[in-house]
Amino acid sequence: MKGDRKYILIFLFPMAALMSIFLYYPFFKSLYLSFYRTKGFFDKKFIGWDNYERLVSDKLLGAATLHTLELMLYVLIFQVGISLILATMVDNISKFQRFFRSVFFFPVVISGTAISLLFVLFYNYNFGLLNGILTGLGLEKVLWLSESTALKAIAVPTVWHYVGFYFVLFLTAMSKIPADYYDAGKIEGINGFKKMTKLTIPLILSDIKVVITLAITGTLKVFEFVWVISRAQNNTDVLGTYIYKKALVDQNFGYGSTIAIYMVVLGVILALLANRLLKSDEITY
Amino acid sequence: MKRSSLLLLSMMLVFTMFLAACSKTEEKTGTETPNTTETPKEEPKKDVSLRVFSTFGGTDAARESFQAAIDGFTSKNPNVKVENDTMSANDDGFRTKVNTDMTSGNEPDILFYFTGADAKGFIDAGKVVPLNEVLDANPDWKAGFAPAALENMTRDDGKIYSIPLTGYYEGLFVNKKIFKDNNLELPTDWDKLTKAVKTLSAKGIIPLAAPFDQSHYLIEYFMLSAAGSKGHNSGLANGIDPNWEKGYAAMKELYDLKAFPKDAATIDLSMASNYYDQGKAAMVIEGSWAIGNWKNKEVVDNTTVMPFPVMPGGLGTGKDVIGGFGSGFYISKATYDNPDKKDAAIELLKSLTSPETIEKIANSNGGTSAAAGVEIKGTTQAATDGFAMVASATSINKPIDNVVTPETFSALRAGVQSIVTGKKQPADVLKEAKATEDAGTK
Repeated sequence: MKGDRKYILIFLFPMAALMSIFLYYPFFKSLYLSFYRTKGFFDKKFIGWDNYERLVSDKLLGAATLHTLELMLYVLIFQVGISLILATMVDNISKFQRFFRSVFFFPVVISGTAISLLFVLFYNYNFGLLNGILTGLGLEKVLWLSESTALKAIAVPTVWHYVGFYFVLFLTAMSKIPADYYDAGKIEGINGFKKMTKLTIPLILSDIKVVITLAITGTLKVFEFVWVISRAQNNTDVLGTYIYKKALVDQNFGYGSTIAIYMVVLGVILALLANRLLKSDEITY
Repeated sequence: MKRSSLLLLSMMLVFTMFLAACSKTEEKTGTETPNTTETPKEEPKKDVSLRVFSTFGGTDAARESFQAAIDGFTSKNPNVKVENDTMSANDDGFRTKVNTDMTSGNEPDILFYFTGADAKGFIDAGKVVPLNEVLDANPDWKAGFAPAALENMTRDDGKIYSIPLTGYYEGLFVNKKIFKDNNLELPTDWDKLTKAVKTLSAKGIIPLAAPFDQSHYLIEYFMLSAAGSKGHNSGLANGIDPNWEKGYAAMKELYDLKAFPKDAATIDLSMASNYYDQGKAAMVIEGSWAIGNWKNKEVVDNTTVMPFPVMPGGLGTGKDVIGGFGSGFYISKATYDNPDKKDAAIELLKSLTSPETIEKIANSNGGTSAAAGVEIKGTTQAATDGFAMVASATSINKPIDNVVTPETFSALRAGVQSIVTGKKQPADVLKEAKATEDAGTK
């Protein structure tokens, strides 16, 4: 037992080193910078809690938070929902399962920026694909990225991008359910939709919990879809784009770091909340 | 089972071969460098490798000319290896790249970058060297520059840190054909502009392609037209110039006349420029480099450029132009202090800013020449018109983002959409911007 310790430390070291350099160090550096007023890269001044006071009264940040939460709602309902439905459907077929698995997983591999550029060309008012179809049908052009619809329009590629990832997670979870449960269910006479709601979903609840946590934390990081498609205009400014604007466009790293801390806190609270709401007993087969 | 393990084994073999190959090349370069430092006296010229960081990459119109200039130098000086490191200037990412390089001790040997407020940080921090002495030591080189260009590079302390290449101007680019087809006069004054806007928008043509978020040129020309050269250049440091409100109000006036694209809020600058290039927009406020970027020959051939007209009550002369020499080559201090690199870097710089190179690059990016006596004729009528506009300008002004902090400029940009849609009053936006400026310069 004692000899093992050495090996444990040796094997843990690389990961610990990576985590400290790329995760903990930047986090504490952000915490440190959040107490400074920075002027570009070369000049900074200690200002105490000023950045946090600004954080509390910042209306744009409040709006960005609300937009992020709205996007999160879409992601939770549609991303998790669609991937769950797709997984159940694919789990129930015997042929072409691999084919569907690759097809649905495919968008995850494409970079978010590339997808966003694609959707810029879909939504463009003057020569976008969607308006091209509408004018072809003799209908009026629609401003897809208007103040009221832009965020919903952005939610579409955001949801689509990661559906495949959760789909694979669900599918793996479902494949782990022993066949006896289904056999028993068959004898009891449940089929189709009832099978999904009474058997499959309760049995993979812990995986659904993981997926929901991933979806929540993932939405907090959304950046490229908003930045590329709408340049964070028309009520689409989310936390990811707001922090970018403050830190990198305005070169106010002090306040940018303060927003980063805020995002971490918000993320932890939301994840804890989700865990609390979905509390259930672990199921072991 | 057996077959798959065999496959795995062979794949691993291939991988190790790759790894071996990689490590070998690394070893090679590793042994090469000490060799050259060990035997410096036998060879007349040492192998030097220089990194030049610029924005002449990606879709930049001058990318090929710049690469050719570097190739020309390296073919004459085989001992110097030049790494042409580039990043697109389209977004703010490259500012971050330059600044991180500068703070983290990873300075490029030669940097092509802005000269205004952007450069203040690393100049004050002593990361680049003043080049007055070098210029004085090479009188032929110094004499090759137009005095105005060097004057533009001179900072408040009288020192020149950057060597100019080409200048630029911003202007109102007008598609003459669209104006002619609709029996409109060119927008030389405000009435003609508003008349054109009304007529064109009624016909479904975008009158003025402009994005609200990347509204740099829009803000600059509207403020210049409203507040005149002096009011524009004073920024916000000494209080708010009330004429700036007029500039914003004029934006709203044009917006109400449907001057801007319907999706102006969400498009970026390149999309706005694209609308013009596609012939969907009749006017666009752009920089001189846009001419080289536009692909549609029919549009380019029918393009002329003029200053933005003066709005009623505006203090501009109607011949005020935004432009100048906004960027130049810097030599980093680390390179300057390194005796191996110093001379090579200076020679490279001389070659990159020789009248011939300047002419070639100015011809490809439509910029003005920093070299004395080099008249750029302009490869297109639009470019020729642009040079004529600059030559007859009553004032040449640096853009507003040279005189305010980046955060203030963001506030001014963010104000555009809220003002034109009526959510905010110009005075309130300017008050907010002033507060940001005060907080930022404290």
